Amino acid sequence: MAARKNFMGYVFTAPAIILMLVILLAPVFIAATLSFTDYSLGNSSFNWVGLENYLKMFSRSTYVKMITASVTYVFIVVPGSIVLGLGAALLIHSLRRFGDIYKTIYFLPVMASLLAMAIVWEFTLHPTIGIINKTLASGCGNFPEIFFSLGWLPFVDGSSSWYSTCCREGFPLWFGDKAYTMATICFIGIWQSFGFNMVLYLAGLTSIPRELYQAAEMDGAVKGWDRFKLVTWPMLGPTTVFVVTISTIRSFQVFDTVEAITRGGPVKSTYVMMYAIYEKAIKHNMVGMGSAIVVVFLAFVLLLTFTQRYLVERRVHYS
Amino acid sequence: MADIRLRSIEKMYGETAALCGIDLDIRDGEFLTLVGPSGCGKSTLLRIIAGLEEQTRGEVEIDGKSVNKIRASKRDLAMVFQSYALYPHLTVWQNMITPLRLRDLSSLERMPFIGRFVPGQRDKVKSLHTLAGETAHTLKLEQLLHRKPGQLSGGQRQRVALGRAMVRKPRAFLMDEPLSNLDAALRVHMRAELAELHRNLKTTFIYVTHDQAEALTMSDRIAIMIDGEIIQLGTPDEIYKNPRDRRVAEFVGSPKINILSGDVDESGNVSIMGNHTGIRIRKRIKKVHLGIRPEHFRLVNGNGATDSWPFHVTYKENLGSDFYLHGHLNGSKNRIITRAAPDEVGRITIGETVKVRARQGKPMVFCDNDCRIDVMQEAGYGSA
Amino acid sequence: MIGHATSFSEYMKHIVLIFGSLIVILPFYVMVSYSLKSPHEIATNSGGFIGAQQPMVDEYCVKLGNPPEECMQKPLVYNYTQAFKKAPLLRYLVNGLVVTASIFFIQALIAVPCAYALAKLRFWGRDFVFSMVMFCLLIPVHTIALPIYIMLAKVSLTNTYAALIIPWTISVLGIFLMRQFFMTVPDDLIDAARMDGMNEFSIIWRVMLPTAIPALLAFAIISVVAHWNDYFWPRVVITGDRSLYTPPLGLREFKGDADGSIWGPMMATATVIVTPLIAAFLLAQKRFVEGITMTGMK
Repeated sequence: MAARKNFMGYVFTAPAIILMLVILLAPVFIAATLSFTDYSLGNSSFNWVGLENYLKMFSRSTYVKMITASVTYVFIVVPGSIVLGLGAALLIHSLRRFGDIYKTIYFLPVMASLLAMAIVWEFTLHPTIGIINKTLASGCGNFPEIFFSLGWLPFVDGSSSWYSTCCREGFPLWFGDKAYTMATICFIGIWQSFGFNMVLYLAGLTSIPRELYQAAEMDGAVKGWDRFKLVTWPMLGPTTVFVVTISTIRSFQVFDTVEAITRGGPVKSTYVMMYAIYEKAIKHNMVGMGSAIVVVFLAFVLLLTFTQRYLVERRVHYS
Repeated sequence: MADIRLRSIEKMYGETAALCGIDLDIRDGEFLTLVGPSGCGKSTLLRIIAGLEEQTRGEVEIDGKSVNKIRASKRDLAMVFQSYALYPHLTVWQNMITPLRLRDLSSLERMPFIGRFVPGQRDKVKSLHTLAGETAHTLKLEQLLHRKPGQLSGGQRQRVALGRAMVRKPRAFLMDEPLSNLDAALRVHMRAELAELHRNLKTTFIYVTHDQAEALTMSDRIAIMIDGEIIQLGTPDEIYKNPRDRRVAEFVGSPKINILSGDVDESGNVSIMGNHTGIRIRKRIKKVHLGIRPEHFRLVNGNGATDSWPFHVTYKENLGSDFYLHGHLNGSKNRIITRAAPDEVGRITIGETVKVRARQGKPMVFCDNDCRIDVMQEAGYGSA
Repeated sequence: MIGHATSFSEYMKHIVLIFGSLIVILPFYVMVSYSLKSPHEIATNSGGFIGAQQPMVDEYCVKLGNPPEECMQKPLVYNYTQAFKKAPLLRYLVNGLVVTASIFFIQALIAVPCAYALAKLRFWGRDFVFSMVMFCLLIPVHTIALPIYIMLAKVSLTNTYAALIIPWTISVLGIFLMRQFFMTVPDDLIDAARMDGMNEFSIIWRVMLPTAIPALLAFAIISVVAHWNDYFWPRVVITGDRSLYTPPLGLREFKGDADGSIWGPMMATATVIVTPLIAAFLLAQKRFVEGITMTGMK
């Protein structure tokens, strides 16, 4: 009987083990190996190039721009989506009624195909027929321009404000102007992902015992901010660590918006890593270089996750 | 130090009333226990005193001033919660110093780094540390100060919760079933400690529990709450010996008081199952309920006694110091528990029928709707 | 009394949240609205939400030699018929369905027995297998898409259904989730089943699976949402053959040859692609949110 159970253990895990080896672990080694070569698909032979691919990544402007773009994206989208997700969760949690409606609405982008929504956003932000610029333009010379240019405040020159300048010189090409493109792509990223963080935070908030807040009240935490510092934020610690990690890993993997809207441009300002892998290795068949990017990419992800595990075990594990 | 006065407190949850007109005067320095079965509204009442919940109607006064409009944190009361509600991310020391910091330091003074440069902040902090240190010493928490609540045992957490309440010397302590998460032995121990703490602090304690034993052992006065009303208020002795209501009699005392239904004849004599009781009442009613506590039964030796009742023993419960005999009076299905000393029951076997009688003056008479009926005259058993 | 929520602060919160909702909903509004409008209305930003629905001339129909009178159509009808005619949208949807369903089916088929063995069977090396699962949890499949692509290319499997499915057949997250769930099933239940004479296969099928329905459902939701919406992997592995396109690829292709007049049909396509998941989400919100948060509980 025991022997049979033993045997069944191997039968049941074998398919999973084989697939893990072939699909998840082998590719890591293949990528690591190929990153030291100039291999390309279709060629029968290749040369070992040593660290050349890696050196290029930190010297050639294309790849420096790639890393800059990825890091910028992560550093905007992660805090943005976390702050908004937490903010929305706190507001919704404190509402007496209708909280569920907002929760549903804010979660919609998480469900929708990012590619489809990227195309819709591109259209919404279209410089000539997009609804955003049309609406902005219709405000010129009217109340919105006056209001948002802040010209009604003392000592503020309304005509040099962003809004008034745009009214004179045209509203931005959101995806064509280097000054705006990254911000706009990040905006879409935040728009798409903050609902996910919100849901995780809401789950975290509901699991905080009510008695802790009452204890804080009895202890003299009068201001909402004191209660937040004393109870809410520390109790959300484990959620936050998870949210930061998963948002960061996901943000590093941004591809759909970039591929569909900007193709890395203008002037490589949105040339993020996933798009670089796709363009270099798959479209241009520079497999060696692509593999090096994959390895660096994986290193980022592993580093992050290990940090998370460490933090979870060290700092935020209370019991 | 404070006296707390409740005036016709009502609490409605939608259409259902949780509290219906509570009036209660709690004296300065008193240990008052609110006790009752779960759902009787005792915790709600405590939370209303604390300010964590708002009453639908009525007034809460502390030291003669209405605090209806004052929020919980400004009432200067401390509360010990059933779950202790310690901050899990803070050490014992930090947990204890938090109420002091929040009350005595301004938000500027509490800021990291910047706070240190506020004039006078250092001295303030020092005095807070002294206060917290004293409390930790009183509660013997010194060894635990750097641990987090997760690393403490139940009893230790309980102490920390007490410490957090004590540090800032509040006007009164509110305790919501603070011992219910401890094991039985520790609970008995903590009862004594809490009572001693109260004697030393001389502060008002309002203590909520569903455990009548806790209420009896610790309190100066007990308020018995049932269905959102206080049905009796008095010292533990009064409550136990002289309950004004059948529900009080049944709630207090363990094992529970025995209730037997009795018949009343024209002249007011009460009998049980045709057996004489020797009790007479003035009230002209047909039926009454007789309440007799287990320790108020006495085994009767010999067979000559005609004024005793036959008791059929179904189970002997040995508690070492005492025996409880379970069984029923012949002809009745009601289960009766009587207490007896070990040397009395040695020869009694299960299934045997013995004779018992109630000790003179001890049985209580209740009417059909739980009210207490005064006994007019009780003749001795021999003289009936 | 905590919070002292006055009606004023309650209103302020609603105002902030409504403002946020407007931004969140804006693209959905644009998408649905423009899928109903004529090119002229789109270009001039007129016609409100559903457009005037003035019949318009289908130019392509005219080009085919039909008289213009016969080619008059309402914009709504025009946009959606174009979406299904100009690009084989139906085919894409079927592909999407086949691919997501097969992925989940195979994932479950492999993950459930493995999770059961890891949770409830004792065998030499079990801890090693589990740590292997935990390690693989760290590797996002998208990041190693390139080597997988090379492997598939080497065995000439690119541009096949198999290429769309194979990399996703192993879901370590699924194994992990199911294992955590199976750990909570009491051993007594399994021992009782063994006493009744069940073999290990029927224990999985008839005892474990029925109790694991909620976990399996959560897993299904995570898997289906991810793969219906996935764009990167199909983009990499399907290069020429349009008949293998998944819905996002199809939509992207549509955009590739976009000119002004095609915005309407394109928005119609986007609407059709986005609707199934949104509808499922609206119908079973609780399950979806639970399923998504479940991944956050590890």
